[in-house]
Amino acid sequence: MAHVGVRYDHTHTRRIGLWLFFLSEGFLFLALLSSRYYLLGLSRPQELNQALGLAITTVLLLSSLTAYRAETSILHGDQGMFLRNTLATILLGSLFLVGVGIEWAEAFLSFPPHTQFGTVFFTLTGMHGFHVLSGVVLLTFVYFHGKRGRFGETNTWPVEGVVKYWHFVDVVWVFIYPTLYLVSS
Amino acid sequence: MGEARKRAKLRLGLWVFIALIVLTVVELWIAFAVPRPLLYLVVINLVDAWLIMEYFMHLSRMWRTEE
Repeated sequence: MAHVGVRYDHTHTRRIGLWLFFLSEGFLFLALLSSRYYLLGLSRPQELNQALGLAITTVLLLSSLTAYRAETSILHGDQGMFLRNTLATILLGSLFLVGVGIEWAEAFLSFPPHTQFGTVFFTLTGMHGFHVLSGVVLLTFVYFHGKRGRFGETNTWPVEGVVKYWHFVDVVWVFIYPTLYLVSS
Repeated sequence: MGEARKRAKLRLGLWVFIALIVLTVVELWIAFAVPRPLLYLVVINLVDAWLIMEYFMHLSRMWRTEE
């Protein structure tokens, strides 16, 4: 009864929990990234589609900007801008996945999964692509709940949490892109 | 006041995005123009990651109990 009327804000605890989740995910990707150097050293296959790699990297970076704009908008109560930018992030994330699909179709011919580079390439892009897909699904939930007016200046945690996850997926790609496409001896 | 603050935040986001794109282009140039580019690429990646975590993910806000 003593707690009636006292509202504890869990946002701080939620943020720490989410960052700890990112840390554990970071270790997973670090292990996968290190396998590239263990198996292949610094060699880089010539068949890599550099233009496509750069294009999907740009798309993902752009999606981080729209996600940031969505979060900033809802924090300031701008529902219209929040919805537009969330939708743009979903579309850009989907475009990234289409790019990865094209990349995979080419990679199956150039370096199939049973080759050393193929193993590293498909594992890294596959694991990352799965995270992008889950981010797109979460953003879609946020979009439809946002359309029903569930978020406002005082209820932004679901948006903040999903947008942070999206940025995390971007941070991971920032390391995967050079590891697969750019590193050479 | 609120609108001005929002605009300032949106502008900051745009600058961070531009910085990320410039760093990606620099990274691509280094990869093909500089021999043994690994160290340079790692440094650029760390800057990229810091930009995203600090400005987009608000890392330094994690320890604040209220906004």
